[in-house]
Amino acid sequence: MPESNRRASKEQPGSGFLAPCLATGLLFFVAGGAYGFLTGDNFRRQPIEQPIAFNHRLHVEEQGLDCEDCHPGCRSEVKPGIPDADTCLMCHAEAQGDSGEEARLVAMLARGESPAWRPLFRQPPHVFFSHRRHTAVAELDCGECHGDIGSSTTPPRLPDKLRMDDCRDCHLERGVSVSCSACHR
Amino acid sequence: MTRWGMVIDLDRCTACQACVVACRVENNAPPSGPEFAHQGRDISWIRLGSIKHEEAGNRPGLSLAPLPCMHCENPPCVHVCPTHATTIDEEGMVAQVPARCIGCRYCTTACPYTVRQFNWRLGQWPAPLDQGRNPDVSIRPRGVVEKCTFCAHRLQRARDRARYEGRELEPDEYVPACVESCPAEAMFFGDLDDPHSEVARQAASPRAFRLMEELGTRPKVIYLSKGE
Repeated sequence: MPESNRRASKEQPGSGFLAPCLATGLLFFVAGGAYGFLTGDNFRRQPIEQPIAFNHRLHVEEQGLDCEDCHPGCRSEVKPGIPDADTCLMCHAEAQGDSGEEARLVAMLARGESPAWRPLFRQPPHVFFSHRRHTAVAELDCGECHGDIGSSTTPPRLPDKLRMDDCRDCHLERGVSVSCSACHR
Repeated sequence: MTRWGMVIDLDRCTACQACVVACRVENNAPPSGPEFAHQGRDISWIRLGSIKHEEAGNRPGLSLAPLPCMHCENPPCVHVCPTHATTIDEEGMVAQVPARCIGCRYCTTACPYTVRQFNWRLGQWPAPLDQGRNPDVSIRPRGVVEKCTFCAHRLQRARDRARYEGRELEPDEYVPACVESCPAEAMFFGDLDDPHSEVARQAASPRAFRLMEELGTRPKVIYLSKGE
Protein backbone atom coordinates (compact mmCIF):
# COMPACT_ATOMS: atom_id res chain seq x y z
CA MET A 1 0.00 0.00 0.00
CA PRO A 2 2.64 2.58 0.82
CA GLU A 3 4.53 1.59 -2.32
CA SER A 4 1.64 2.12 -4.70
CA ASN A 5 0.89 5.42 -2.97
CA ARG A 6 4.37 6.63 -3.64
CA ARG A 7 4.18 5.63 -7.26
CA ALA A 8 0.92 7.45 -7.70
CA SER A 9 2.21 10.62 -6.10
CA LYS A 10 5.27 10.46 -8.37
CA GLU A 11 3.28 10.09 -11.54
CA GLN A 12 0.69 12.74 -10.95
CA PRO A 13 2.90 15.85 -10.74
CA GLY A 14 5.13 14.38 -13.49
CA SER A 15 2.41 14.20 -16.11
CA GLY A 16 1.06 17.63 -15.22
CA PHE A 17 4.39 19.38 -15.54
CA LEU A 18 5.78 17.59 -18.52
CA ALA A 19 3.82 19.32 -21.27
CA PRO A 20 4.43 22.96 -20.16
CA CYS A 21 8.07 22.16 -19.45
CA LEU A 22 8.55 20.74 -22.91
CA ALA A 23 6.70 23.63 -24.51
CA THR A 24 8.79 26.23 -22.68
CA GLY A 25 11.96 24.34 -23.53
CA LEU A 26 11.01 24.17 -27.18
CA LEU A 27 10.13 27.88 -27.20
CA PHE A 28 13.52 28.82 -25.76
CA PHE A 29 15.24 26.46 -28.16
CA VAL A 30 13.54 27.92 -31.22
CA ALA A 31 13.83 31.53 -30.04
CA GLY A 32 17.52 31.09 -29.19
CA GLY A 33 18.22 29.45 -32.51
CA ALA A 34 16.40 32.17 -34.44
CA TYR A 35 18.17 34.92 -32.50
CA GLY A 36 21.54 33.32 -33.13
CA PHE A 37 20.75 32.76 -36.79
CA LEU A 38 19.61 36.34 -37.35
CA THR A 39 22.26 38.14 -35.34
CA GLY A 40 25.20 35.74 -35.35
CA ASP A 41 26.96 37.57 -38.10
CA ASN A 42 26.74 40.85 -36.21
CA PHE A 43 28.52 39.35 -33.25
CA ARG A 44 31.38 38.37 -35.47
CA ARG A 45 31.39 41.60 -37.41
CA GLN A 46 31.02 44.51 -35.05
CA PRO A 47 30.49 47.80 -36.87
CA ILE A 48 33.62 49.86 -37.02
CA GLU A 49 33.72 53.53 -36.13
CA GLN A 50 36.78 55.32 -37.48
CA PRO A 51 38.03 58.45 -35.71
CA ILE A 52 37.87 60.41 -38.99
CA ALA A 53 35.73 59.56 -42.02
CA PHE A 54 38.71 59.10 -44.30
CA ASN A 55 38.08 59.62 -48.00
CA HIS A 56 40.20 57.16 -49.97
CA ARG A 57 39.02 58.39 -53.36
CA LEU A 58 40.08 61.96 -52.67
CA HIS A 59 43.59 60.80 -51.76
CA VAL A 60 44.11 58.06 -54.32
CA GLU A 61 42.20 59.16 -57.42
CA GLU A 62 42.19 62.94 -57.09
CA GLN A 63 45.52 63.56 -55.35
CA GLY A 64 47.26 60.65 -57.02
CA LEU A 65 48.77 59.18 -53.87
CA ASP A 66 50.01 55.62 -53.90
CA CYS A 67 48.92 53.03 -51.30
CA GLU A 68 52.54 52.90 -50.14
CA ASP A 69 52.58 56.61 -49.26
CA CYS A 70 50.39 56.02 -46.22
CA HIS A 71 50.75 52.25 -45.73
CA PRO A 72 54.54 52.09 -45.92
CA GLY A 73 54.89 48.34 -45.51
CA CYS A 74 52.32 47.23 -48.05
CA ARG A 75 54.96 46.10 -50.52
CA SER A 76 57.96 45.55 -48.29
CA GLU A 77 56.70 44.14 -44.99
CA VAL A 78 54.44 41.46 -43.59
CA LYS A 79 52.11 44.10 -42.21
CA PRO A 80 51.29 47.15 -44.32
CA GLY A 81 51.12 49.57 -41.42
CA ILE A 82 48.41 52.03 -40.57
CA PRO A 83 49.30 55.70 -40.94
CA ASP A 84 50.28 57.52 -37.76
CA ALA A 85 50.16 61.23 -36.96
CA ASP A 86 53.50 61.90 -38.69
CA THR A 87 52.17 60.50 -41.95
CA CYS A 88 49.10 62.73 -41.85
CA LEU A 89 51.20 65.73 -40.79
CA MET A 90 53.22 65.54 -43.99
CA CYS A 91 50.27 67.23 -45.70
CA HIS A 92 47.77 68.17 -43.02
CA ALA A 93 49.71 70.46 -40.69
CA GLU A 94 47.19 72.98 -41.92
CA ALA A 95 43.92 72.45 -43.76
CA GLN A 96 44.22 71.63 -47.46
CA GLY A 97 40.51 71.91 -48.24
CA ASP A 98 37.29 72.91 -46.59
CA SER A 99 35.93 69.57 -45.38
CA GLY A 100 34.73 69.26 -41.81
CA GLU A 101 36.46 65.93 -41.35
CA GLU A 102 39.77 67.44 -42.34
CA ALA A 103 39.25 70.29 -39.89
CA ARG A 104 38.73 67.70 -37.17
CA LEU A 105 41.91 65.91 -38.22
CA VAL A 106 43.93 69.12 -38.21
CA ALA A 107 42.61 69.98 -34.75
CA MET A 108 43.42 66.48 -33.56
CA LEU A 109 46.95 66.69 -34.92
CA ALA A 110 47.40 70.15 -33.40
CA ARG A 111 46.55 68.67 -29.99
CA GLY A 112 49.32 66.16 -30.56
CA GLU A 113 46.92 63.25 -30.90
CA SER A 114 47.22 60.49 -33.42
CA PRO A 115 44.01 59.26 -35.06
CA ALA A 116 43.34 55.77 -33.72
CA TRP A 117 42.49 54.06 -36.99
CA ARG A 118 40.79 50.73 -36.56
CA PRO A 119 41.78 47.87 -38.84
CA LEU A 120 39.16 46.49 -41.20
CA PHE A 121 40.84 43.16 -41.70
CA ARG A 122 41.92 40.97 -38.89
CA GLN A 123 43.35 37.50 -39.02
CA PRO A 124 43.16 34.80 -36.43
CA PRO A 125 46.54 34.26 -34.75
CA HIS A 126 47.20 30.99 -36.56
CA VAL A 127 47.02 32.59 -40.01
CA PHE A 128 50.27 33.98 -41.35
CA PHE A 129 49.72 36.36 -44.21
CA SER A 130 52.53 38.42 -45.64
CA HIS A 131 51.73 41.53 -47.66
CA ARG A 132 55.16 41.54 -49.22
CA ARG A 133 54.73 37.99 -50.46
CA HIS A 134 51.55 38.95 -52.26
CA THR A 135 52.30 42.46 -53.49
CA ALA A 136 56.03 42.44 -54.19
CA VAL A 137 56.71 38.79 -54.95
CA ALA A 138 53.45 37.75 -56.60
CA GLU A 139 52.83 41.31 -57.88
CA LEU A 140 49.16 41.31 -57.03
CA ASP A 141 47.20 44.51 -57.06
CA CYS A 142 46.00 45.66 -53.62
CA GLY A 143 42.44 45.57 -54.94
CA GLU A 144 42.58 41.80 -55.45
CA CYS A 145 41.86 41.41 -51.75
CA HIS A 146 40.87 44.91 -50.66
CA GLY A 147 38.30 45.48 -53.39
CA ASP A 148 37.69 49.03 -54.53
CA ILE A 149 38.56 50.61 -51.20
CA GLY A 150 40.73 53.06 -53.15
CA SER A 151 37.64 54.66 -54.64
CA SER A 152 35.50 54.72 -51.50
CA THR A 153 34.53 58.10 -50.11
CA THR A 154 33.66 56.99 -46.57
CA PRO A 155 35.16 54.20 -44.51
CA PRO A 156 33.27 50.89 -44.67
CA ARG A 157 31.04 50.35 -41.67
CA LEU A 158 31.61 46.65 -41.46
CA PRO A 159 34.91 44.83 -41.69
CA ASP A 160 35.42 43.02 -44.94
CA LYS A 161 35.03 39.30 -45.01
CA LEU A 162 37.94 37.30 -46.27
CA ARG A 163 37.50 33.61 -45.89
CA MET A 164 39.89 30.75 -46.37
CA ASP A 165 37.91 29.72 -49.43
CA ASP A 166 38.72 33.08 -51.04
CA CYS A 167 42.42 32.53 -50.43
CA ARG A 168 42.22 28.97 -51.64
CA ASP A 169 40.29 29.80 -54.82
CA CYS A 170 42.87 32.39 -55.78
CA HIS A 171 45.76 30.06 -54.98
CA LEU A 172 44.25 27.25 -57.08
CA GLU A 173 43.50 29.63 -59.93
CA ARG A 174 47.10 30.82 -60.03
CA GLY A 175 48.64 27.43 -59.37
CA VAL A 176 50.35 28.38 -56.12
CA SER A 177 50.70 26.19 -53.05
CA VAL A 178 47.57 25.25 -51.14
CA SER A 179 49.56 23.32 -48.59
CA CYS A 180 48.19 24.00 -45.09
CA SER A 181 51.57 24.93 -43.70
CA ALA A 182 51.93 27.69 -46.29
CA CYS A 183 49.54 29.84 -44.23
CA HIS A 184 48.83 28.02 -40.96
CA ARG A 185 51.34 27.32 -38.22
CA MET B 1 60.52 17.71 -56.82
CA THR B 2 62.17 18.75 -53.63
CA ARG B 3 62.09 16.25 -50.82
CA TRP B 4 63.40 17.77 -47.62
CA GLY B 5 65.27 15.46 -45.32
CA MET B 6 67.76 15.37 -42.49
CA VAL B 7 70.81 13.28 -41.71
CA ILE B 8 72.05 12.94 -38.14
CA ASP B 9 75.53 11.52 -37.71
CA LEU B 10 75.59 9.72 -34.36
CA ASP B 11 79.36 9.49 -34.55
CA ARG B 12 79.58 13.26 -34.34
CA CYS B 13 76.62 13.93 -32.04
CA THR B 14 77.75 14.58 -28.48
CA ALA B 15 74.21 14.72 -27.08
CA CYS B 16 74.80 18.30 -25.96
CA GLN B 17 71.14 19.26 -26.58
CA ALA B 18 71.96 22.53 -28.33
CA CYS B 19 69.40 21.45 -30.95
CA VAL B 20 66.78 21.01 -28.26
CA VAL B 21 67.35 24.51 -26.90
CA ALA B 22 67.48 26.08 -30.36
CA CYS B 23 64.25 24.38 -31.34
CA ARG B 24 62.45 25.52 -28.21
CA VAL B 25 63.46 29.12 -28.79
CA GLU B 26 62.73 29.06 -32.50
CA ASN B 27 59.33 27.44 -32.19
CA ASN B 28 57.98 29.15 -29.07
CA ALA B 29 57.94 26.07 -26.87
CA PRO B 30 56.87 27.43 -23.50
CA PRO B 31 59.03 26.86 -20.42
CA SER B 32 57.29 24.23 -18.35
CA GLY B 33 58.92 24.02 -14.92
CA PRO B 34 59.94 20.90 -13.02
CA GLU B 35 56.47 19.77 -11.92
CA PHE B 36 54.99 19.91 -15.37
CA ALA B 37 58.02 18.26 -16.90
CA HIS B 38 57.84 15.50 -14.30
CA GLN B 39 54.28 14.77 -15.44
CA GLY B 40 55.69 14.28 -18.92
CA ARG B 41 53.80 17.28 -20.27
CA ASP B 42 56.75 19.38 -21.32
CA ILE B 43 56.65 20.38 -24.98
CA SER B 44 59.80 19.88 -26.99
CA TRP B 45 59.70 19.27 -30.71
CA ILE B 46 63.10 17.63 -30.66
CA ARG B 47 64.48 15.71 -27.72
CA LEU B 48 67.13 13.16 -26.98
CA GLY B 49 65.96 9.62 -27.41
CA SER B 50 67.87 6.82 -25.78
CA ILE B 51 68.85 3.65 -27.56
CA LYS B 52 69.79 0.71 -25.37
CA HIS B 53 72.23 -1.84 -26.66
CA GLU B 54 74.77 -4.26 -25.34
CA GLU B 55 77.82 -2.96 -23.60
CA ALA B 56 80.89 -3.78 -25.56
CA GLY B 57 84.41 -3.04 -24.39
CA ASN B 58 84.50 0.57 -23.27
CA ARG B 59 81.28 1.38 -25.07
CA PRO B 60 78.41 2.16 -22.66
CA GLY B 61 75.10 0.38 -22.96
CA LEU B 62 73.13 3.49 -23.81
CA SER B 63 73.44 5.97 -26.61
CA LEU B 64 71.50 9.14 -27.11
CA ALA B 65 70.20 10.51 -30.38
CA PRO B 66 68.28 13.67 -31.28
CA LEU B 67 64.72 12.72 -32.09
CA PRO B 68 62.82 15.22 -34.23
CA CYS B 69 59.71 14.39 -36.25
CA MET B 70 60.78 11.84 -38.86
CA HIS B 71 58.58 13.42 -41.55
CA CYS B 72 57.69 9.95 -42.79
CA GLU B 73 56.76 9.51 -46.41
CA ASN B 74 54.03 7.18 -45.23
CA PRO B 75 53.05 8.98 -42.03
CA PRO B 76 50.75 7.03 -39.70
CA CYS B 77 49.67 10.27 -38.00
CA VAL B 78 48.24 11.64 -41.25
CA HIS B 79 46.32 8.45 -41.87
CA VAL B 80 44.58 8.50 -38.50
CA CYS B 81 43.83 12.22 -38.18
CA PRO B 82 40.04 12.61 -38.38
CA THR B 83 40.11 16.34 -39.13
CA HIS B 84 42.98 16.66 -41.62
CA ALA B 85 44.80 18.75 -39.06
CA THR B 86 47.97 17.00 -40.03
CA THR B 87 48.88 16.66 -43.68
CA ILE B 88 51.85 15.80 -45.81
CA ASP B 89 52.60 18.36 -48.48
CA GLU B 90 54.09 17.98 -51.92
CA GLU B 91 57.62 18.45 -50.58
CA GLY B 92 57.22 15.71 -48.01
CA MET B 93 56.86 17.90 -44.96
CA VAL B 94 54.37 16.63 -42.43
CA ALA B 95 52.60 19.74 -41.22
CA GLN B 96 50.34 20.26 -38.25
CA VAL B 97 47.62 22.91 -38.20
CA PRO B 98 46.87 23.48 -34.52
CA ALA B 99 43.71 25.45 -35.24
CA ARG B 100 42.21 22.45 -36.97
CA CYS B 101 43.24 19.92 -34.32
CA ILE B 102 40.53 18.68 -31.96
CA GLY B 103 42.98 17.12 -29.54
CA CYS B 104 41.82 13.52 -29.96
CA ARG B 105 45.43 12.33 -29.80
CA TYR B 106 45.00 9.52 -32.30
CA CYS B 107 48.18 10.79 -33.91
CA THR B 108 50.24 10.75 -30.73
CA THR B 109 49.22 7.12 -30.37
CA ALA B 110 49.83 6.30 -34.00
CA CYS B 111 53.29 7.85 -34.16
CA PRO B 112 55.81 5.09 -33.49
CA TYR B 113 58.51 7.66 -32.74
CA THR B 114 56.48 9.39 -30.00
CA VAL B 115 57.48 12.81 -31.27
CA ARG B 116 53.99 14.29 -31.18
CA GLN B 117 53.00 16.06 -28.03
CA PHE B 118 49.72 17.12 -26.58
CA ASN B 119 49.41 20.64 -25.28
CA TRP B 120 48.08 20.45 -21.74
CA ARG B 121 47.97 24.18 -21.14
CA LEU B 122 48.45 27.48 -22.86
CA GLY B 123 52.10 28.43 -22.75
CA GLN B 124 53.18 31.02 -20.23
CA TRP B 125 56.39 32.96 -20.51
CA PRO B 126 57.69 34.80 -17.47
CA ALA B 127 59.07 38.26 -18.27
CA PRO B 128 61.36 38.97 -20.03
CA LEU B 129 61.10 35.70 -21.95
CA ASP B 130 57.75 36.80 -23.37
CA GLN B 131 59.60 39.44 -25.36
CA GLY B 132 61.72 36.86 -27.10
CA ARG B 133 59.09 34.82 -28.87
CA ASN B 134 59.35 34.16 -32.57
CA PRO B 135 56.67 36.13 -34.41
CA ASP B 136 56.79 33.68 -37.32
CA VAL B 137 55.45 30.81 -35.24
CA SER B 138 52.06 30.77 -33.57
CA ILE B 139 51.40 30.23 -29.89
CA ARG B 140 49.53 26.97 -29.79
CA PRO B 141 46.29 26.87 -27.83
CA ARG B 142 45.59 24.36 -25.08
CA GLY B 143 44.24 20.98 -26.09
CA VAL B 144 45.95 20.52 -29.43
CA VAL B 145 48.77 18.31 -30.61
CA GLU B 146 51.95 19.86 -31.92
CA LYS B 147 55.13 18.65 -33.51
CA CYS B 148 58.30 19.53 -35.40
CA THR B 149 57.65 21.24 -38.72
CA PHE B 150 61.23 21.19 -40.05
CA CYS B 151 60.97 24.96 -39.34
CA ALA B 152 58.67 25.39 -42.35
CA HIS B 153 58.49 29.13 -41.63
CA ARG B 154 62.20 29.36 -42.39
CA LEU B 155 61.66 27.75 -45.77
CA GLN B 156 58.91 30.21 -46.51
CA ARG B 157 61.05 33.16 -45.52
CA ALA B 158 64.01 31.95 -47.56
CA ARG B 159 61.82 31.24 -50.57
CA ASP B 160 60.21 34.67 -50.32
CA ARG B 161 63.59 36.33 -50.23
CA ALA B 162 64.79 34.36 -53.24
CA ARG B 163 61.66 35.11 -55.25
CA TYR B 164 61.82 38.76 -54.28
CA GLU B 165 65.39 38.91 -55.58
CA GLY B 166 64.35 36.96 -58.68
CA ARG B 167 66.55 33.90 -58.25
CA GLU B 168 66.37 30.26 -57.29
CA LEU B 169 66.56 29.12 -53.68
CA GLU B 170 70.17 28.30 -52.76
CA PRO B 171 70.61 24.91 -51.06
CA ASP B 172 72.13 26.36 -47.89
CA GLU B 173 69.56 29.13 -47.50
CA TYR B 174 67.11 27.01 -45.61
CA VAL B 175 68.05 24.91 -42.61
CA PRO B 176 66.00 24.24 -39.49
CA ALA B 177 67.10 25.79 -36.21
CA CYS B 178 68.40 22.50 -34.80
CA VAL B 179 70.72 21.92 -37.75
CA GLU B 180 71.92 25.50 -37.64
CA SER B 181 72.74 25.27 -33.95
CA CYS B 182 74.58 21.93 -33.92
CA PRO B 183 78.10 22.72 -32.67
CA ALA B 184 79.42 19.29 -33.64
CA GLU B 185 78.10 19.63 -37.20
CA ALA B 186 76.39 16.31 -36.78
CA MET B 187 73.20 17.33 -38.56
CA PHE B 188 72.71 17.85 -42.28
CA PHE B 189 69.65 19.14 -43.99
CA GLY B 190 68.60 19.54 -47.58
CA ASP B 191 66.94 18.05 -50.60
CA LEU B 192 67.20 14.26 -50.61
CA ASP B 193 66.24 14.17 -54.29
CA ASP B 194 69.09 16.42 -55.33
CA PRO B 195 72.01 14.02 -56.01
CA HIS B 196 74.54 16.82 -55.50
CA SER B 197 73.32 17.83 -52.06
CA GLU B 198 75.35 17.06 -48.97
CA VAL B 199 72.36 15.44 -47.34
CA ALA B 200 71.82 13.03 -50.26
CA ARG B 201 75.52 12.14 -50.22
CA GLN B 202 75.39 11.43 -46.47
CA ALA B 203 72.16 9.46 -46.81
CA ALA B 204 73.86 7.13 -49.27
CA SER B 205 76.53 6.24 -46.70
CA PRO B 206 76.73 2.57 -45.71
CA ARG B 207 76.27 3.70 -42.11
CA ALA B 208 72.84 5.13 -42.90
CA PHE B 209 69.77 3.66 -41.23
CA ARG B 210 66.27 4.81 -40.40
CA LEU B 211 64.46 4.26 -37.14
CA MET B 212 61.96 1.39 -37.16
CA GLU B 213 62.36 0.85 -40.86
CA GLU B 214 60.39 -2.37 -40.62
CA LEU B 215 57.18 -0.42 -40.02
CA GLY B 216 57.17 0.95 -43.54
CA THR B 217 56.84 4.58 -42.47
CA ARG B 218 59.84 5.56 -44.61
CA PRO B 219 61.24 8.37 -42.43
CA LYS B 220 63.10 11.27 -44.01
CA VAL B 221 65.33 11.63 -40.98
CA ILE B 222 68.25 9.34 -41.56
CA TYR B 223 70.78 8.38 -38.92
CA LEU B 224 74.39 7.43 -39.47
CA SER B 225 75.35 4.72 -37.02
CA LYS B 226 78.43 4.95 -34.86
CA GLY B 227 81.44 3.68 -36.73
CA GLU B 228 83.27 0.76 -35.23
